[in-house]
Amino acid sequence: MLTTETLPLPRLRVRGRSFMALVVAPELPLAGWMAALDAQMRDVPGFFSNRPVVADLSAVAAEARDDLAMLLEGLEMRNFRLVGVEGAGEALLAGTRWGRLATELHGREIFDAMYGDRPQTPESQASRPKSPEPEPPGPALANSLLIDGPVRSGQSIVFPEGDVTVIGAVASGAEVIAGGSLHVYGALRGRAIAGVNTSGEGRIFCRRLEAEMVGVDRLYRTADHWGADLHGRPVQVRCDRGTLRLTALD
Amino acid sequence: MSLFSFFTRNRSAPVARDRLQVLLAHERALDGRGDLVALLQQEILAVIARHFPIDQEKVVVKLDRGQRVSTLEIDIEMPDEVSART
Amino acid sequence: MSKVVVVTSGKGGVGKTTSSASIGAALAKAGQNVVVVDFDVGLRNLDLVMGAERRVVFDLVNVVQGDAKLPQALIRDKRLETLHLLPASQTRDKDALTEEGVERVIEGLRERFDWIVCDSPAGIEKGATLAMRFADVAVVVTNPEVSSVRDSDRIIGMLDSKTRRAEQGEKIEKQLLLTRYDPARAARGEMMKVDDVLEILAIPLLGVVAESPDVLTASNLGCPVTLHDPASPAAKAYTDAARRLMGEALAVRVPTEKRGFMERLFGRKAAAA
Repeated sequence: MLTTETLPLPRLRVRGRSFMALVVAPELPLAGWMAALDAQMRDVPGFFSNRPVVADLSAVAAEARDDLAMLLEGLEMRNFRLVGVEGAGEALLAGTRWGRLATELHGREIFDAMYGDRPQTPESQASRPKSPEPEPPGPALANSLLIDGPVRSGQSIVFPEGDVTVIGAVASGAEVIAGGSLHVYGALRGRAIAGVNTSGEGRIFCRRLEAEMVGVDRLYRTADHWGADLHGRPVQVRCDRGTLRLTALD
Repeated sequence: MSLFSFFTRNRSAPVARDRLQVLLAHERALDGRGDLVALLQQEILAVIARHFPIDQEKVVVKLDRGQRVSTLEIDIEMPDEVSART
Repeated sequence: MSKVVVVTSGKGGVGKTTSSASIGAALAKAGQNVVVVDFDVGLRNLDLVMGAERRVVFDLVNVVQGDAKLPQALIRDKRLETLHLLPASQTRDKDALTEEGVERVIEGLRERFDWIVCDSPAGIEKGATLAMRFADVAVVVTNPEVSSVRDSDRIIGMLDSKTRRAEQGEKIEKQLLLTRYDPARAARGEMMKVDDVLEILAIPLLGVVAESPDVLTASNLGCPVTLHDPASPAAKAYTDAARRLMGEALAVRVPTEKRGFMERLFGRKAAAA
């Protein structure tokens, strides 16, 4: 009794989005690298969750070609959301689940992947293919970003070009990543990383330290490391001779 | 504060329970199928539309679901030519 | 000029639907033409709180999909003729609500009403983002409790980026409504104080509603507390909030502990023992 009309086709919208992916670069021996990764992840369990991850297999593709699929399987089991594979030709992964991921990914290196205080052993240095000379730390970056207002939970500020200043609090569940230094004129409650492009020269300053995690360059600490003593106080975070130092400013 | 009001309990919970019993009886009966009353309304309007054009804006539908009896009220403003004929 | 108000929170169960109904009713009582819209997809709540659950024929999705015209879906409140309800759909189809469809409905409502109060579902998915998409004002409902505050902060961030107004470079007015506040627990240091929440969320305060049995009673009876028991503290708080929304510069009264006769009697006994 009721007639139906054909509905018009929906209008498709295709949007562009840019985001930062993390690059993990496994090294030989694979078992040892996996064990080290598991230890790191126990320390900061949420770090990789919900982030797109690219696996850079250039250090292992040649010697461990038979194990590549298993390696990627292992990463997926640890809830790494793999969106791409680098450093391994398509042929190496053809026929596996990962074949379609091994295509050319064009992206701009933002900073070195974060591994925390990993010692550079001679073995790992030798097995890594010749990478270009690391750039010497340049002069202090001239660009700076001013955020006039709080950084809300869920927001992510990534500014590798220089310093970041926040006039307000950085909420729990927010993160700020600065190429140079980070100045927070308010409470720092979320996650903050400074100095990603100044090789350890950057610092974090905040009016009240209530952060979940802070880091400078490749070194980071979570809240249970610095304890109740510094909590709630104005604090400076810097990298001092290869170690992360947090000092109260009051 | 009187002693009486101290001992009188808040009586709104039974009202809530009764409202929910009527409502959920209807919702469980739907069981994924369309609402019979809404379907009836569509069909009735379709029948009437065969006899004269209906302005959807001039149709008012009121529904009241009861425990044993539900009432569906449909008000349609008939065009002048039609009411003159009847 | 009609105003679209979204009542949102992020966290579930903090009092969005109760607040939407109470504030909507208060605005209507003040003579304004008001419609409250339930933006949940799949779970209907506003109709129950307003006492209209037996009269729902068509809903928001029906209007969006063209099965019904707006006037057919609107349900007039039996107690206040300037108060209407547009119920939510019981569909399980998450894609039933489209941005274009919602925009058409909101434009249609703007022609008929002074205030369009959008009751947002919890979370940050489609129902919540569509509820805030076309809003002029946002009422962020928060309980003085850590996860509620963090979720509200997330929602505030989204209000500043995912609304039409934000995309067009305009400001969306955000106001904080603190609900389920317990003055006794706040005084004992067991619950966050109003200032603590304000310091973290950094938006102006619309009102503070203390935890109260009157709200539960009103919900049981299907009548917004501002209509059922206007003299109750909760109703007064909501009525004041409505006045502030209408532009009145009314100072916010933070509820304090109020000890009744019986509590004082037993309290003294406990101290003596």
